[in-house]
Amino acid sequence: MTRQPANGPGNWVLLSYRMPREPSTPRITIWRKLKRLGVAQLGDGLIALPADARTREHLDWIAEEIVESGGTAAVWHAQPATLAQERGLAAAMAAARRDEYRSVIEQAAAGSANEAERVRTIRRLRDELRRIHRRDYFPPAERDTARQAVEALAKPRTKADAPEMTP
Amino acid sequence: MKWATRANIHIDRAACAWLIRHHVDPEAEFVFVTDPAEIPAGATPFDIRGVELSHHHGDCSFETILRRYELTEPVLWKIAEIIHEADLDDERYDAPEAPGLDITLRGLSMICTDHQTLSHTTSIFDGLYEYYRRATLLGHEPA
Repeated sequence: MTRQPANGPGNWVLLSYRMPREPSTPRITIWRKLKRLGVAQLGDGLIALPADARTREHLDWIAEEIVESGGTAAVWHAQPATLAQERGLAAAMAAARRDEYRSVIEQAAAGSANEAERVRTIRRLRDELRRIHRRDYFPPAERDTARQAVEALAKPRTKADAPEMTP
Repeated sequence: MKWATRANIHIDRAACAWLIRHHVDPEAEFVFVTDPAEIPAGATPFDIRGVELSHHHGDCSFETILRRYELTEPVLWKIAEIIHEADLDDERYDAPEAPGLDITLRGLSMICTDHQTLSHTTSIFDGLYEYYRRATLLGHEPA
């Protein structure tokens, strides 16, 4: 999903929108959906994602939902005017993901009190990693580190610290 | 009857086509268009922005079709939860099947035409339907 074009800025999909201040529930629903997609906030009511079939479709449906909630929305296909501008955008998005991966790494390193908690932690962090991967368009180095940290938790224990097996 | 949707189908459109043929119109013929202007006269469009049988208020098109044709069978709504999560991934439902099905469909769409994808996914959705039908009867996951 990564695209760092060699010859110039790549294609982005933009969503410009306005929503009524009240009721606040639809505003919050839309905000959560955009956050989940890992959008870059370009301005007030203007967000961007690198364009591909999936991101275009997600923003189309979100635009539809905004209109159905009494707001206005438009989806645009655009290119940053300069490579530097695109790199700035990509760097900001990578930094946001880096923070999320670091949080996963910290949680994996924190260890767990017992075997049951360890198993729960592995499951929770794997889910969390999957969510972050979905919105990771410009992977930072921490992506691999986070995966390794979570998988290290899942490695079979040595005999000394393995819990007694019960049938 | 003719039914039209966007070309390069993915999970929601493939599942809608299966639902339409099995529960709405056994004679359904599907047309795939790259632009809404190409929708043939008389064809019913689905999963295209702005049409009736599409995403509405956070529902995916599969859910919209179930509501529109008053299909209330629990097995179909169970499948709807999986399709919703595979398509929208918004965690409205707990559907651990969704990521696997999403990737299966993405892979199929890389090597198949839309009509081929439809014919392959017919068996997949028939199988899912049978699995959840038995699960509903048994009250637990079938072996």
